[in-house]
Amino acid sequence: SVSEIRSGFTAIKANIQARDPVRTLSILSHPHSLHKVKSSDRCCIIHKVFNFYVDKVFKHCQTEDSYVNRKISSIANSFLSIKRKLEHCHNQNRCLCGQEPTEKFKQILVNYEGLNITSAAMKSLGELDILLDWMEKA
Amino acid sequence: SGELYCSLPNPRNVHFESTNMKNVLHWSAPEGTADGVLYNVKYSVYGVGKWIRKPECRNINRTWCDLSSETADYEDQYYASVKAFLNGKCSDWVETARFNPLTDTKIDPPMVSVSSTEKSISITLAAPEKWRRSPDGESLSLLQVYPGLQYNVSVLNKKTKRRWFFSISNTTLVVPWLEPGTVYCVSAQIHVTTPLLHSGFSKEHCIATLKDKTA
Amino acid sequence: EDASLPAPQNISILSTNMRHVLTWSPVTIQGETVRYSVEFQGEYEREYANESWIPISECSLITATVCNITEDISATVSYSLRVRADGGTRGTEWGTLKGFFNRNTTSLTPPLMKVIADGYHLLVELEDMGPAFQFCVLYWKKGQESRMQQKMVKEFTSTVHLDTMEAGPEYCVKAQTYVETISRSSSFSQAQCVRAQGSRSMWL
Repeated sequence: SVSEIRSGFTAIKANIQARDPVRTLSILSHPHSLHKVKSSDRCCIIHKVFNFYVDKVFKHCQTEDSYVNRKISSIANSFLSIKRKLEHCHNQNRCLCGQEPTEKFKQILVNYEGLNITSAAMKSLGELDILLDWMEKA
Repeated sequence: SGELYCSLPNPRNVHFESTNMKNVLHWSAPEGTADGVLYNVKYSVYGVGKWIRKPECRNINRTWCDLSSETADYEDQYYASVKAFLNGKCSDWVETARFNPLTDTKIDPPMVSVSSTEKSISITLAAPEKWRRSPDGESLSLLQVYPGLQYNVSVLNKKTKRRWFFSISNTTLVVPWLEPGTVYCVSAQIHVTTPLLHSGFSKEHCIATLKDKTA
Repeated sequence: EDASLPAPQNISILSTNMRHVLTWSPVTIQGETVRYSVEFQGEYEREYANESWIPISECSLITATVCNITEDISATVSYSLRVRADGGTRGTEWGTLKGFFNRNTTSLTPPLMKVIADGYHLLVELEDMGPAFQFCVLYWKKGQESRMQQKMVKEFTSTVHLDTMEAGPEYCVKAQTYVETISRSSSFSQAQCVRAQGSRSMWL
């Protein structure tokens, strides 16, 4: 559940964010802030972003710290569980993607590809509070 | 910028202390330095390129700097940094961890007011306000920042020493059918489920139900 | 290290009220103190991370044949678990739990509760079962089961105020737990009934 992702992330937030020295680039929040996404586009963005984290991010987030790795596994499996539910919505056409959210998500991928893969993955993991804050706001 | 030779020890424990989104940067003086150390402060919005100097916190000798105004947008995250100067020497810039005003702030307990009749007490609660730039600035209750905000209310019967708990989301609670002429003490706590945040319990507000006129 | 010894057997999980414990039969390695290590693999690891296994540090090189895996079974997906015995100079193969474990199969027991009449107030004391648990409390005037009222207790507090009672009739209460992360509830506890204390006339 989202609250389990939140508590798992809170436990390792300082550790993960300390591994990200790049202050000048964000994957999720700049130049387009998630908070500017229209409510009708929320489901599409959440679906795409969850797929992005499961397919691209978590596998490149191995650390030397066993506790951190276990928390990352917990978050990744929670993401997978929610991704399954979102797929269900998507398959019932209740989570369609128009051009605008698709463009917004492309910017996220551009930001991601602007860094080497490990730095990009660790930065994305460190930005989970940005994703959760936005998801939980509505 | 014509930086001086930076061999001064660094400021220590540079961190934000935040309550109701009043976000104040704090640090400790460099090890082994007595008086006379001056500090400069800068901050940056995470994901945006530049560091921004805080003019009101330039060459200051105190070890805190109020950055509430600069970090008021709680949809962003921030870094802040401090540099120390003493006798022509300087330290390195020392940064905070990434600061997220929404999740990293503490919340004060709610305001509580209580009134009573012969057999009931009425409790009115108010969530604290988010920090604002000036007294006549826009007032924003933390309820608007955290839509899932709830109150846990504790009611203690001083005679039976029994404590009851109520969990409510609106701001008024009437507890009927109480014993006349009895003292009840009320305290309340704010509870936010997402993100998970608790305030402490407010101090107790005690009030007696009126005496039974017919007795 | 020679791993030809047979793997630990009878690996199983006891899961009650979202507390999951892995157990296995002890392994004997002649002349050596046997220690066990446990690893888990979630569906994510199986499908996206090259079937990697993750060690549980609290259950690495332990002598007990029990491991509390609750902390790591933290998503509603299917997990694999494996155990290996180590005798210092010799170790065993990995023994793997037959099939997968999903926490949504945990057995949920009704909550312990105590119903209290405090004057004209109906209260219930509930058992603290951890952050995963909410409580659904039903209460009604005895004989009026059709007019049952419900209160959801989302966060544990010791004494929950339900309602005020009239003098005279009995009021009954029963409760069940609800675990949102697996969308399941326990059965209801036995109903407990109480009557308001003290006569109303005294206060009218």
